[in-house]
This record gives sequence, structure tokens and C-alpha cells, in this order.
Amino acid sequence: MKRRDFLKFSASTTLALAALGAGEEEGFFMAARSLADGKGAEPMPAGSLGAKEVTSVCEMCFWRCPIVGKVKNGRLIKIEGNPNSPANGARVCARGNSGVQLLYDPDRLKYPLKRMGKRGEGKWAKISWDEALDEIAFNMEKVKKKYGPHALAYFDHGSSAEFMREIFKTLGTENYSSEPAFFQCVGPVIAAYLNSMGYVVSGTRQYIDMANAKAILLVGSHIGENVHVSHVREFVAGLQNGAKLVVVDPRFSVAANKADIYLPIRPGTDIALLMAWVNYVIQHGLYDKKFVEKNCIGFEDVRNAVKDYTLEWAARICDLNVNDIKAAIRILAVESPHVAIHPGRHSTWYGKGDVERHHALAILASLFGAVGRKGGIYFPTPVKKAHAHCIRRKEKEDMEEPDESLRDKFPFVDPFPGVPTDRIIDATLTGRPYPIRLWGINGINIIQTISNPYKTMEAIKKLDFIFSEEILPGETAIWSDIVLPEATYLERYDALYAYDGLTPYLTVRQPVVEPLFDVKTPYWIARELARRLKLKCLSCKDEKEFIEEELKELGLSLEKLNSKGGIIVHKANPYRDADKLKMPTESGKILLSIEDFEDEGLDPVPQFRPTPAPPKGYARLLYGRAPVHTFSRTMNNLWLQHEWPENHAWINDEVAKRIGVRDGDEIALENQDGRRSNPVKAKVTPGIRPDCIYLPHGFGVRSKHLTKTYGKGASDNFLITHCITDPFMGSSGKRTNFVRVIKGKKTLDIPELRPIPEELPRFKLNRA
Amino acid sequence: MSQYAMVIDLDRCVGCHACAVACRAEWNVPTEEGYRRNWLKRIGPENTPHGLSYTFYPGLCNHCDQPVCVDVCPVEPEERLFKSFKDGSSKKMAIKATYKEPFTGIVLIDKGRCEGCGACVEACPYKARYLDETLDDPKADKCTFCFERISRGEQPACVKTCIGDARIFGDLNDPASQVAKLVKAGGARRMESKVVKIGPNVYWKGKEKDIFALFKNFAPMTKTWE
Repeated sequence: MKRRDFLKFSASTTLALAALGAGEEEGFFMAARSLADGKGAEPMPAGSLGAKEVTSVCEMCFWRCPIVGKVKNGRLIKIEGNPNSPANGARVCARGNSGVQLLYDPDRLKYPLKRMGKRGEGKWAKISWDEALDEIAFNMEKVKKKYGPHALAYFDHGSSAEFMREIFKTLGTENYSSEPAFFQCVGPVIAAYLNSMGYVVSGTRQYIDMANAKAILLVGSHIGENVHVSHVREFVAGLQNGAKLVVVDPRFSVAANKADIYLPIRPGTDIALLMAWVNYVIQHGLYDKKFVEKNCIGFEDVRNAVKDYTLEWAARICDLNVNDIKAAIRILAVESPHVAIHPGRHSTWYGKGDVERHHALAILASLFGAVGRKGGIYFPTPVKKAHAHCIRRKEKEDMEEPDESLRDKFPFVDPFPGVPTDRIIDATLTGRPYPIRLWGINGINIIQTISNPYKTMEAIKKLDFIFSEEILPGETAIWSDIVLPEATYLERYDALYAYDGLTPYLTVRQPVVEPLFDVKTPYWIARELARRLKLKCLSCKDEKEFIEEELKELGLSLEKLNSKGGIIVHKANPYRDADKLKMPTESGKILLSIEDFEDEGLDPVPQFRPTPAPPKGYARLLYGRAPVHTFSRTMNNLWLQHEWPENHAWINDEVAKRIGVRDGDEIALENQDGRRSNPVKAKVTPGIRPDCIYLPHGFGVRSKHLTKTYGKGASDNFLITHCITDPFMGSSGKRTNFVRVIKGKKTLDIPELRPIPEELPRFKLNRA
Repeated sequence: MSQYAMVIDLDRCVGCHACAVACRAEWNVPTEEGYRRNWLKRIGPENTPHGLSYTFYPGLCNHCDQPVCVDVCPVEPEERLFKSFKDGSSKKMAIKATYKEPFTGIVLIDKGRCEGCGACVEACPYKARYLDETLDDPKADKCTFCFERISRGEQPACVKTCIGDARIFGDLNDPASQVAKLVKAGGARRMESKVVKIGPNVYWKGKEKDIFALFKNFAPMTKTWE
């Protein structure tokens, strides 16, 4: 029932109800309660009480909290956390709460579309599923036949993308899993910890025991603005238990506000600070000698490599107060080994030095012996999970390597599949080393996620064919030849979901409501496409069949899982005895110095190699998250849009005063390549360094079909046109862009309030 | 007699806005400008005498001891029967279209009799009420501490979803309750000013700098009801 109708109804039934005696018998409130649902004599509470409940898994972001969907009269009215979940309980964040408005967004894609105007124009015609899938299959076969399998590229993210990945994989392209999640986000931190500690300490998850820590170090991690419910809970729990907090960040973040020591570091100098701390810890004997001797390799290399990095030197390079950085390292050292040296997450900052920065953090944690111990880096608890045989291709065909792989230049991209996004775009543009002529996109805003969207748009223009699977008609859709409308996470089953953090569990996503409109589930779409391509993968009839197959291997069924509240909780095994520690590396030890890096001509122990400082007149562009938004996916959500409709450009108050910008002024930003942002309001604050300007990510949407958010705020990505590719695994460093302010018709140079030491090179403007 | 109350701990709050959205979902609050039962405003980063602060105002109706919104309601009082959901006892009381519920101290609206004049909306110094003009017959609306939920032993929606457990809800007059203990221990403060002192029943605790910034920006300074 529409809200308007429902209140009209309730007003008119007041008297009728009184006549029924409900008011007299149960008291005024009981009557009010029945009224609210409009059911009169059959009392049904207002709000979400009394709703039918279906357990499922959220995907408003990729932390994937267990949830309960509350359904009344066939309509989803509310989402709460699954009370049986040991991670979040009944809690969900703002986005989790707002899944309702994704499901019922009137802007949703409702049926398959075929492009009518130019690519990027957003003009479509409605077509049938048969037409859409036939055309995709025809083009995939055609491109493969003409240019070979590697001419197909697949950009994927999230659980909706998993099944179609099997198709690209089976067709034999090396470009089958080119996840921005890896190459545009977590690649460097993964490479650092995988090579030093033997496992992915931080990737999708961060195995860092903040809840039990006595001190916590965050280097550029915006916990609280980056909202992952159980992670935030562990952070808050740690602080409530009395943990001391050190935050290193050029911007005064939500986490910084809670810090005992806040270090507003000059961007690009983190390694100087970290290695000076490592040196200090070694020089002052503050490290866990027994732990290092027993469990680490390369201590002497580290000692030698850092011996010249003093705190005084770091203070000058990093533009920090030496007493503060000394106090900070002493706080961390005093509490070791129960100290959480947070590994970080989004780590594609400067292109060069990203892996090294996280390697330096790994070294610091290891020196404190804060690995496998309470409050430190912990080990995931494997949750047994079966794989349905009917998903994967039947016979194992080896992919035929191209003569020159796009992965070749990047020695540490293994063991991850896929190709660096930058390289796919270059190959698409140039045809070298081999042509890429078809893109499939699933779960990604290709324009707002991958750096340098101008280049991405040029590359798309060169393609023979591009298709996407989408929920909303965002930028990806308007650049596609065929758009397939996908069922949201609230309308479908997905594979079993295992969480291996501090509160391990096994759960499953199941539809809270039936799919709306003419949308289809990702599995149905992939299976139909595989059938048309005559591929021997995705042979199960539907999602339920493979879930039951997976559950059967675990001695379970959907019915049994649902009878247990939709979730099975496991016991965690996160800690190890330091004397019996065995790391999942070849040697069983932590590599403080990494020989494999040296073999490839890279630093075995991190060295400080400065990233260029801003050119005169410019500030470095920083970006981050609005806590109510996920990437650029949620800006059109009615409730989230209401909470946070547009972003603001954070400008240091002293800088703003000098250039004549006031809080709330409408400005634009112009980057080093002359690219201008949409208009955006200035947020003038002492909470950012004078050499930086900050924009929350995901705004400045350029698809008119997203009616609630089109034209609101400015896109950080459209200012990120200069990227440095990481030599380890090919990720794109993004914080290598600089901006100045446009107000009215005036271009305002950013005054240099913090002088730059001579050792730091400056970015050279390359402009006519 | 009970007085339900809430303590909001800013040290546990990360400003995620889950409270505001959960409330909007639970009560289907329209998204028109200013329509809110529960909200989160961001404050700063700004300087305070106690250091730089970046904090939040997760706000809701204060269910005041002297609710000025009730005073200004022009609707003729009518007698109603009230029943305690705690012990089942009942009492009769004459109420206007908005009133302080006798067993819980929660300020409620009798939607059936609200005439939509907007006097209470104007009167509230905390802007905790709105007039729902999306309705053919506009009515005032506001936070009820999720009366229907708590009467069934559930937590208010904002409390239930709070990811940092920053909201503590309960009966201030029950010495065993967590709210009573927190308020008694001191350090949790009502958001009042020298001018506006009407006994709000939402309390705030947190770092001195954050409380300073919160009160400086949002403590009401004018008698909006006069």
C-alpha cells in the first residue's frame, strides 16, 4: 500500500476501531498499533514488527553482512542484521538498511536494452532476452574467431560476476578476471603480505585483531568512513577496552578524531616515517628479540637498510613534530606484542612505493612480535565450503598463453588471475601487444572506477562490442551496446558464503522477494549465454541445485541451514603460540627482507623513494569514502542520497582564507592536465593539510538515467588522469594528481604553506 | 513511574548514519527536506578550546520533562485509557493531540486527532518534529522511541542497528538500567542552554572537545515556543 493511502485509511478507521472495542479492551496504544497497519480488527503492528523474515547476505558493499529481510504483503519493508550472526548481530549500516531502496528504485533497469545512439549517449531500445543473449553470443564467437580468445576482456566485481567469469575463462582469455578490486584497490597490500607473511593479511578482509589490542596504528585507514560493520565494531571495541590509537593521515578523519596521537603526515612520505620507526625500534631494543630470532628472516638486512633513517630526518621529510612521532612509536612499543599494526586496505596510492609501504607495516608488526598473538595480525579460520561441480567447466583445458602476455611485466601479479586494468585499456587503444576487441562488464562502474576515464572512453569507442550486466542505468550501461538487467542480491540465490575472520560462519544468500520486472539472476544469464556458446560449464539447472549440492557435501541442506537461523557459526582459531609459529611461507617464517623482490630488481627491504610533491600552485588530490556510500554504486539510492546528496571539496582553512574561498562556496577543481571537475561546494576546515584537497569518491554521476543523483557533486575519478603503474603487480596509483581551485572565472593557485624539503622532487607540469 | 531515556556515546559513534536510515525505513518517513524522526549531522573538523574535533549529532526527540510541544497543542483534551506494558496497570488521563504518555514519559502524537496545525513543529527547539504534508490530511510526526517496538520488548530501531553500540536505551527511573547507571555516574549531559531548559531525556557523553562542538553547534538558544 502506498504511504499516502495507508494514512488516509488509518485516519478514517479511528472511529471504526473504537466501535470494535479494540481501544477499550487493550488501551489506547493497542488500538493505535492496529490502526497503523490498516487492518482494523486483526491487529498487526506498525513498522517492521510482525513481518515475514528471510535470512540472507547483504551486498550493498562487499563485506557481506548476514541480514534478515522483512517482508509484509509481498513487499520488502526493512532489512536488519541476522541476529544469529556473531559478526554484526541485528546491526546493519546505513547502506545495509537502504537495500530496500535499491530493490525498488524506479530508475532500475527493467528489461534488456540495445544501444540506439552513440556509445555514451544513453539511448536505448527495449529488446527481448533472446535477442540480447543471441547478439552477445554472436559477437563473442565472432571476435574470438577473428582475433583469438585474448581479444575478449572481462571486468568483474562482486558475486553477481562470478558465473559469467566461468564463460570468459572457458573461452580461454587471459583477461578473464580483471578486477578493479585488485588492480585499482587492494593489489599492493595483498602483494606485500603474501610475499612477507605467506597469506593475504589484507584483501577483502583485514585479519587484524583490533578488539583485543592495547594499541592500534592506522596509516591512512579511514575506519568509520569506510564502514565494514564487524571491522568497525572491532575498532570501537578495542578503543572501549582502552587501546591507545595512533593515526597517520594528511586529513583529520573520523578515526583521527578518536586518536591519542594524530600525525598529519605529508602525503607520499609514509615509508620515511615507517622505516625511521623501524630503525628506532631496533636501535632502542624495543623489538621482540626472541620472536624475531625464531620467526623472522632478514633482520640484519633490515637493520642495515634503515640505519640512517632517524626520527629527526623523518620529521623533516614527513612534516611532523619529532616529539609526536617519538611518543607514537613508544606507545606502540610499550603495548607490544598486543599491538594492531593495521595492514591497510585500499593501497593504490602512488604507484611506486605502495607495496613497500605495506611491507614496511608488515616489518613493524613482526618486530613487535604482533603476529598470531592477541591484538595483532591473526590467522583466518578456514570454514569448510564445498564447490558444486556443475559450475566449473567439465574438462580442464589449459589456457593458451598469448605470445606476449599483458601480465608479463609484473612479476608479482601471480597467483592472481586477470590482467592489470591499465594494460587492457592500452591494448584496446593500440592493438598492442595484441588486439582486445570485446569487453564484458559485470558489477563495475567502468567510468567512475578505473583511473583516467577519458582514456577509458576512448578505448571503448575502439571496441567491436561491449556489453554489461547491471542493476542501474549508470555510466557502464550508457557505454554498452547491450545491457542486461540483473536481479539484485535481494532477489536471488548465490553461492555459499563463508566468513573466516574472528567470528567465522557459513551462510547463504537467498531471495527475500521474487525478481521484479523482467530482470534475471546472474546465474540464469550466464547459463543461457554458456548454452548459446556451447560451453561445458554452468550445467546446474538453477542456483538452488548447486547450493544444495554444495550443502550436501557438508551434510546440510537449505532447509537445515534455514532451521538454524540461516547461519552456521564456527569456532575461531586466530592465535598461535609464538614458539610454535609456522607461517604459510616456504620457510615457515616471516620474510622481513624479500629475496624474490630483489631478484626482480625491486627493494628487498623498503627504501624511501619519494613520490613527486605538488607543483607550485597545486595541492594533491586525496579521495576517500562517504560512510553512507559504496564506490559510485549507491548515489542514486533514495535514503542514502537523502543522507549524503553530494560531496564537498575539503580545503584547509588557512589556504581558503588566502585564496578567498569561504565554506559552502561553489568552486570547481582543475587538475594538472587541465581537466575540470563539475561544480562542488567547498568545505573549509582545519582538518586537512594545506597541501591537499580531499573529495569523497563516487559523486559527479554522468548518467542522466540516474535521476536522483545526476549532476550532484564532483567526480574525483575525472580528475585522476595521471597514474603510475605499480611495478610489482600492475595496479594503478591514483594519488599522483594535483588540483587548483576555480571560483567564478578565476583560477586560484594554492599557496605553499608547508615548504617542501630539497630531497623531494616536484611533479613537473607538462603543459603548453 | 518510568521515564524512558537514551544515552548516546560519541566515543562509540563513527557517524555511519545507520540510525537515521533505520528509522526512516522502520517508519517509512518521506525524504522531503526537513522530514525526520531521527538524524545524523556531521560537525567539523573544527577547532575547539580542547583541540580539533570531528564529531556528530545523532539526534532524535528528547521526550522532555516539560514538553513545550505538548503545551502549544491547540486540540481540546479528551480522556483516554492508558495501560502499562510493564505491569498491566491502567490509568485514565485527558490528553491533547500530543501528550506525554503517563507510564513511560514518552511524548507521543494521537494521529487520529492531530489537526496538522504545525504549532508543535514550530515550538520544538530541537526541530525534532515535522509536518507530513505528503499526506492529504497533514499530520505532525516525530520519534516515539519506537513505542510499539519497546512495548513488545524490542529495542528502538536506531538502537538495534547502531553498529558501534553507541546508543543506550532504557528507563532512567530504574536504577538497575544501564541508562540510569550511566547518567548517575556523571559525564552524560543533556543538551541544554541557559535559555532552553526543558528537561531533555537524551544524554550525551564523549570527549570534552566533541561535546563542546556538539553543544556549540546544536544546543538550542531560543525559546521557540514563545
